[in-house]
Order: sequence, then C-alpha cells, then structure tokens
Amino acid sequence: MAAMTSVALLGACTPPTPPAPESMARTTLQTAPADLQLLCANSAAGVAGPNAKVLPTASRQLPDGTFGVDLDAGGKKFSCVVDNNGTVRSVQPAQSG
Amino acid sequence: MTASNRLPAKTNEVGRRKLTLALIAAAVCVGPLAAWAQTQIYDSKTHTWVNYDKKKARQYYARNNQAPEAFRMQTVTFRTAEPPGTIIIDGNQHFLYLVQPGGQAIRYGIGVGREGFGWAGIVRVGRTAEWPTWTPPVEMVARDPNAAKWAAGMPGGPENPLGARALYLYEGDQDTIYRIHGTAEPWTIGLDVSSGCIRMNNDDIVDLASRIKIGAKVIVLMQGAALYKGV
Repeated sequence: MAAMTSVALLGACTPPTPPAPESMARTTLQTAPADLQLLCANSAAGVAGPNAKVLPTASRQLPDGTFGVDLDAGGKKFSCVVDNNGTVRSVQPAQSG
Repeated sequence: MTASNRLPAKTNEVGRRKLTLALIAAAVCVGPLAAWAQTQIYDSKTHTWVNYDKKKARQYYARNNQAPEAFRMQTVTFRTAEPPGTIIIDGNQHFLYLVQPGGQAIRYGIGVGREGFGWAGIVRVGRTAEWPTWTPPVEMVARDPNAAKWAAGMPGGPENPLGARALYLYEGDQDTIYRIHGTAEPWTIGLDVSSGCIRMNNDDIVDLASRIKIGAKVIVLMQGAALYKGV
C-alpha cells in the first residue's frame, strides 16, 4: 500500500515530458502536418487528372489517430485519409450535404 | 451628447441589437471567417502550453532577441512528392518549408494574414527584390493612415515593412499582390498579423531568397481561408 502511494506521489510530482524544442509551438487549430496534407493532394491528383491543381483546404485528426484531409481540385471536392507514416489510406469524391 | 444618448432606454436597446446584427452580417460578408486559432508555445518552467499573442511575443523578443526556438530556421523531416525547391506554407501552424532532397525540408517561422486576410492557393515566385520599395495597395491606403503617407512608395530600409528581401508571388504571369518578405517587426513571427503577405525574419528571408529559383512553386495551405482566385 505504502509502495503504491509512493508511486502515485512520484507520478504526481514528475513533470510531463516536454515536446522536442522544434515542436514547442502550436496553434489551437489542430491540422494535419503539411507534408501529410500534400501526400493526400498528390494521391488525389491521380484521381482528378494529371493537370489538376489539388489543394488541401481543411484537415483534422480522426479518433483512430489518422488524419482526414479535404481537398479541392478546381472545384471538385475530395476526402482523403492519411496515417502518420505517410500512407494514404483512401481518396474519394466528397459526399455533398 | 450623442443622438443615441437622447433616445429612451428601450429604443437604445433595440438600436444596439440592430447594430450588433449589422456588425455580424458585415463580418460574414467581408470574407470567410477563417478558422481562427491561437498560437501557443510550451513554457518549460511551468510545463504548460501558454497563449502566444502580440504582447507575449514582444516580451519574448525583448528578452531573447529572437523568436521561440520552434520558429527559428531548422531542417526537418518532410515526406512529399513535391520536387526540391518547392515552397510550402502552412499558414495555420506558421511555418514555411523549402523542400530539400532526401525527404527533408528547411523550416522557417512566419507571420501570416490576420483573420479575414488569410488565403490559400498554388502560385509561383515571379520575381525577387533586395530591400524592396513598399507601395501599399489602394485598399490599405484607404483603411490605414500609416500606410496612406507612403501611398507613393516607401524606399527600402530597416523600417520598411517588406524588410530585406521580397519574393513576389504570381499566378501565371499575373502578380497576385501577395509577397513573401522580411519584416521590420521580427517579434510578429508566429502570429496572424499581416494583410495576406507572408512575413519572415530578415535573416531567414535573405537565406530563403538565396536558395530559391524564379518560377519556384509555392503552395499556401490555410484552413478556413478563401482560395486565391485572382486579383
């Protein structure tokens, strides 16, 4: 019991691990990393056509840790899911409504 | 005494409500309400994320004579199919990436357009200039008395808001009026402060300008902002 209490107290007193220096800034808007957004755009270009200019317009982290990215290809909308390893899981035309 | 002060209390209340609604409508009509986000930096002393606004940024810069570490130039991992030399701007997170070979990029801290002035698009570097003259656009002259006195052009120099270098962004052969440039206010890196231009520390923009080629592709990501559709 005493040991458990000590561990609990130690845990309470140990500060959280700080982020790496290069990651010590963020915004409250949690978007996908820029490189992952562009991997999605690159995949969508294959679907939208070789000359399509595909631009990520919004992104968010999904509950399973992957990122959802909304894309605009000259007015055509696509939805993409990409994981943290840079693997594009899916690209499909966005559902309207 | 103003006209509104002479009105009965009830009329005054109705007037206030109408004014509020009008202001909300105006705000919506002026442009899309960009997904506003607060910059935060990690405080190693308190082990917490703290808001990083103009006041905090000025204090930080006064103490350290540079921006927080995350906003300083550094090489980072960057997985992309874009060729080396491409510039990628993450307006939401206040970073500019210059793609390098081998899955890396040079990352610089930036200041971007304040709410209603952000934009997103795919453009290119049309030309560059050293210590450029700053000529404020007509709309800025109309709304900003400080800009109005330089309507005919402010010569380049340390006080010039374009700073040491400017990369002029074009779509095709058309100048977008947006630039990536230096700044006379280095503490604003990491904040949403500009009228749509991308600002960098003078040392960083000099470094970037020395590395890029005219015609370099520039991808501007800015969630919630309007897509660039020409001047």
